[in-house]
Parts: sequence; C-alpha cells; structure tokens
Amino acid sequence: MAKINPDFAKEIFKYGNDDFNACYNCGNCTAVCSLTDEHNSFPRKMVRASVLGLDEKITASLDPWLCYYCGDCATTCPREANPGELMMSLRRWLTAKYDWTGLSGLLQKSLLFSLFAFIITAIGVIYYSASQNFNVEIIMHHGHLFEMLSIASVFTFIILPNLFRMWYFVIIKPGIKVKFMTYLKEFQDLLIHMFTQKRTLGCDDSQTRWFMHLILVFGYLALLFTTVVLDWFGTENLFIILLGYIESVVIFIITFIFVAGRIQKNKEVNKFSQPSDWFFVIWLFLLGFTAFIVRVFIDLDLIENNIWMYLFHLIVLVQWAVIIVPFGKWTHFLYRSFAMYFDKIKQVV
Amino acid sequence: MSKSEEYDVLVIGAGISGEEAALNLANQGYKILIVEKDLSVGGKMIHLSKVFPTLDCSACITTPKVSETARHPNITIYTYSEVSNIDKKSKYDFRALLTKHPRYVIEEACTGCQLCEEACPVTVQDQYQYDLVGRKAVYVPFSIANPRVAAIDIENCSLCGACEKVCPADCIDFTQEEEEIQIKVKSVVIATGFKLFDPTLIPRYGFGVFKNVVTAMQMERQLVPTRPYNNVLRPKDGKVPDNIAYVLCAGSRDETVGNPICSQVCCMYSIKQAQLLMGALPMADVTIYYLHIRSFGKGFNEFYQQSKDMGVTFIKGKIGKIEEIEEGNLKLRYEDIESGVVKEANHDMVVLSTGILANDGISSMFKDKLELDPFNYVMQKDILANPAQANIGGVYVAGTASGPMDIPDSILSAGAASAEIAGYLKEGEDHEK
Repeated sequence: MAKINPDFAKEIFKYGNDDFNACYNCGNCTAVCSLTDEHNSFPRKMVRASVLGLDEKITASLDPWLCYYCGDCATTCPREANPGELMMSLRRWLTAKYDWTGLSGLLQKSLLFSLFAFIITAIGVIYYSASQNFNVEIIMHHGHLFEMLSIASVFTFIILPNLFRMWYFVIIKPGIKVKFMTYLKEFQDLLIHMFTQKRTLGCDDSQTRWFMHLILVFGYLALLFTTVVLDWFGTENLFIILLGYIESVVIFIITFIFVAGRIQKNKEVNKFSQPSDWFFVIWLFLLGFTAFIVRVFIDLDLIENNIWMYLFHLIVLVQWAVIIVPFGKWTHFLYRSFAMYFDKIKQVV
Repeated sequence: MSKSEEYDVLVIGAGISGEEAALNLANQGYKILIVEKDLSVGGKMIHLSKVFPTLDCSACITTPKVSETARHPNITIYTYSEVSNIDKKSKYDFRALLTKHPRYVIEEACTGCQLCEEACPVTVQDQYQYDLVGRKAVYVPFSIANPRVAAIDIENCSLCGACEKVCPADCIDFTQEEEEIQIKVKSVVIATGFKLFDPTLIPRYGFGVFKNVVTAMQMERQLVPTRPYNNVLRPKDGKVPDNIAYVLCAGSRDETVGNPICSQVCCMYSIKQAQLLMGALPMADVTIYYLHIRSFGKGFNEFYQQSKDMGVTFIKGKIGKIEEIEEGNLKLRYEDIESGVVKEANHDMVVLSTGILANDGISSMFKDKLELDPFNYVMQKDILANPAQANIGGVYVAGTASGPMDIPDSILSAGAASAEIAGYLKEGEDHEK
C-alpha cells in the first residue's frame, strides 16, 4: 500500500516548481526526452508521484538524478507544468532528504537561514583572525590546515553517512537484493560517470554545456589538489604556481559564464534559479577569483600589508567548505554519479 | 456615388451555420444578405467526406442546403466579398460597407465549362484539395462549388490571355475592379466559422518536412468522392499506406501553441476517418494516439466502441516527436501511459489531427467594440438565456464563430441564432405599429 503525503506538493513548491499540478498525464515530457529509454521513463512518472504525494516512491527513485535538464520537456509541455524544473526541485528535495542533519533542507528552503549561516561563518573567521592579531603567516598556515581538516571531517561526518542514506533509500528499503560482487563489478561505472559526466552528452541541447562543465570539474578538483596537497599559497615551485594560476582562471571564467547565463536566463536550465543555485556558482566563482588574487598578492609581496585579501578568500573558503559542500548543491557531484552506479546495479539485478 | 442596398439581416459567412440561419429567417419572409469571403458557399463542411457518428455523406447534406440557399427568393449571396465598418446607427439600423473582390470572370455569363483551365499554363497548389494536387491560375474552385463559375487567381496569373481566347462565353474580363456597396440592415449574424491550426508551429512533428506527415483535412480529402486520387496514397511516393497513425491533440489543449482548449471534433473525426480507412484500405492498420478520447455527444461513444470492434488500435500517450526513417516511413516516440514506459513505433503515414482556432479579423469588421472570449471566439454575453447574442445589441453569433463545435451543434446554434433574431425583428415590427 502506498502512503500518500497530502502536504508533499506544498513542500516541493518551496524547492522551486509550483506548476506541476497542471499536468494532465499526456507523457509528452517522457517522449521528447532524449535520455529516456524503456528502463528509465521519466519525468512524467515523477510528476505523477509528486501530484499524488508519493514521497516514499520519489525517495526510492533515482530518476531525478538521471535527468540533466536540457529543458525540452519544459518548453514543449502542453500544460506548461514545467517537468524539467520539477526534476530539478526533486533533486534539491532529495539532497535535503539524504542529509541526516536536516540542515540542507533548512538552508534550501529558507533564504534567511542561509544568509544567517553565511554571516555567522564570516563573523567567525574575522573573530578568529582578530584573536591571532591578523598575523598573516599564522592565519595562512591555519587556513591550509583548515582545508585538510574540513575535507576529512565533512567527508566522514556528512557526505559518507548521506551517501549511505541514499543507498539505503534506493536499494535496501525497496528490498532489492544485490550481491556484493555486483557492487564491485559495476564500480567502474561510478568512476566513469563521476569524472566524465558523459550522460549529459545524451541531452540534445549542446555539447558545449558538457564540455564547459567537465573543464570546470577538473579545474576545481585540480585546484583543490594544488592548494591542499601541493600547498599552492606556500610553494616556491614555479610549475605549481603556474598550475594554480591556470586552474583558478579556468574556474572563475567558466563560473562567470554560468552566472551570466543564469542572469540572462539564456537557457531553460538557467531560467528558474533557486538561492542554492546562485550560492553554488557565485561562491565557486569567488573561490577561484580570490585564490587567484591572493596568489598574485603573494607574488607581488603585497599580502603582508593586505591581509584583508586573504581574509576575504578565507571567508569564502570556509563558507564553501562548511555550508555549500556538505549541505548545498556541491553534493550533486556525488549523488549524480552514485545514482548512475545504483541504477546500473538495479538494472543488473 | 456607390450602390446601396437594404436587407433585414446580414449573415457573414456561408458555411453550414450561415446557411442554416439564413434559410430559417428567409423562410419567415425576412430579406437576407449573405456575404462570403470565399469563391463558393458551403464553408468547410462541403469539403468533408462523411459526418460522425452517422457516417452520412457530408456533401449530400450540404449541397441541397447550398442550392436551397442560392435559389431562395429572399436570399442574396455575395461570394468573394467582405464586409467592414459595420456601424450601429440606432436599434434596427446597421450600416456596413460591402467590398466585392473582382473574379476577372463575368459571373453571370460563365458556364463553368472549364475550357479556360485546360488553356491556362500556370499551375499552383490547389487550396481546396489542401495542397495535395495542383490547379490552374484560372479555375473553378471545386467540382461542387456554388456558384460553379471560374475565377482568376490574379496573384499567380501570367496575364497571357490564353483563357480569354478559349472562353466560349467571352466571360474573361481583366478590367474588373473592386466594387463597393453600402449596406443597411436591421440585424447581423456572425457565422464566420473557424480556421485550422497550422501544424508547422509544432516543428517536432515534421509537417512540411516529412512528406508522409499529413493533416487530417488532407486525409479527409483523400476519402471524399471528389478526391484528388482514386485511392488513399502517401504523398511522398504514391504508395498505398498500410500502417497509419493518428496524432490527436496536434494544436489543441496545448499551451505552448497558444491554444489550451479542446477542439471538440478531432477525436471523433479521427475515429470516423479510421473507420473509413478500414473500408478504403481493408489491409491497413490504423492506430490512434490519444490523450483522452472525448466521445461525449449522442451516439459518439457507440461510434468509438464500433471503431475498436473494427480493429482500430487506441494507444494512450501524446506523441513527443516524429522522425523520418528509411523509405519515408516515420518513427513516433511516445510514453505508453498505461505501462508508463517510453516506446517507439514505426508507421508509413502519419495524420495530424489538427485542432480548430477562432478566425481572425471578426471584431475589426465592427465599429463598436465586439467582445471576444480569451480564445478569440465571439463572446456570448448570456450563454444560458440568449446563447446567440453578442455584446452589441442586434448582433448574433452562429456556429463555430462562438467556439469549437461539431456540425450538429453548429446547426443547432444557427437555429438558436435565427430564432433569437426573428424575435428581435418581430419586436421591432410590433413597435413600429
């Protein structure tokens, strides 16, 4: 027996789409989608489940993650129910659902709470810096330590448990019996999707979107590696310095294009931005940009007298690491690739 | 000083609704003027094969009505004419300007022998066969046209004069000019009908690009006695199709093309055509892809069941996109709603069951503001008490000018309009006494 949650639609409204009740179940969205096949027919079934309030069915479904939002379903929907944005809203909702702390939902639903969180972290950084008498060397050293510490703790205490919850919701709870060997055999799929996002290429809209996204992912991961492991801000190695410059430039140029696209609403995917989308792209832009400037200041020996520049970078970094990465849109990097992995496993079973 | 004429009622449009309203009033002794912008009276119905759900011959119902209208002593018809500047001076006093476009053929003299057609060197697409075949620049519109006289399509004419040389009645006249007549009437009936949705507005259905995607009206023309070919053929290669798909709601109930309402006729005419195809092509498979079958009228549901019994396949799911594959065949992609799975099906001919839309330019004929509903149909001010009454007193609406409806409803609507007008005119007469 399916359990119906009568308040589910109202809940989803808070995550974006508030038009989906207009759906008259013609299936046009599923038919125009170039990613659907006989195994995965979406988004109409997700629209139907949302209208009916079948939240358990949606929690157990991977469909929202299999959509890469080309927007064809939205532009051709005869009821203008905007199924593409519903899939996006369900991804936001699922991100909140997987998060055991409940903070993700709170941050996504309440802009006020998000702003509060951002301000508190900024005050915290400034307060800490004041306690260190704004000593550049100590703060930069601690900043570097913070990077390593935050990666380890966010991964251990937030991301790993959340991925386990996702696994529980989509595989264990629906009672799908999977042999241990299957997990191992299909593991390569996880890595392929995580590092290529090749499924986006199935979307009709354009190859450029995939390419830019791919460069951004690699640029981001590389900069993460360069700053954390190779200690970009501390190194004297010319090669590493140049590498960091290139990576940060790639990040802020591509995110600048993405932010501009969202402002212009030039594509279907850019039309209905929620605060979580804005925070994600803008903070990634700031991250790349401030890192670049900080390194420029270091190379020009300006950083000693311009500690504010590093503080600005540190604030952005801390907000990124404690808000956006664990509870914001950053997690789609993992959920999407794990969804492809789990989907493959379900198909094999 | 231009001519002026006086009538009791001006009927705009000579389709089935206009004719019905005109005949009802003319039989009561009122003088009627019918203005038709097309070359022939008969509207859309005269071009149809059969009507649903009785499968009566459409032309066999229309043509007697057409002749009766044309020959009625109380009815004057101006074809290829338009009215404008309809101005209500006072109650029972409407003035209007009638513009008679030149046919370049003397209507009274033409015998409809079609020798001019043989002589004419210019061939263009025949709009009365919905572009399935060609016609000449001088042409009798269609075989059962009324008046059955030729006209010159001056836009495409090369002015070679070949028709003039062969015409035995000397009725070709290139000197004709637009004629204007001042009209005075007591009442006006808007019976302007509808226009068909243009399926090129849905590029993913490929109409106009994939030759074997046709409109339902093009299929309808292939099924009538006056059909262009002697069989049902695919336009691309002239092959007899044996696996035909109908795509319902092509341009109806679709916000993206600006027509969110149901056209009310597409389900039934598609079911009708499917039944006729079963007769015309006994070996053919016919599949109807639908959203919801709306068979709400008298005898409609039985008609729908009958088509199922005859072997028509019904699949619930809107066609998302159509792709051309080898040999001009077509691949249709849809979600089979019953199983919830996306599927693809191949067909060798696709019929788009195009919807109907309000005609343009109705309100611009009037000097006063004629109110339209959100879908550009004439607003019925009081749909329950006076369903035919428009917002301007003395102006009435009949048939599909007020909204999508089928033929029996159009005739009923015209009947209602004529009854309301008769009452309105009678009241005026009593007042004069």
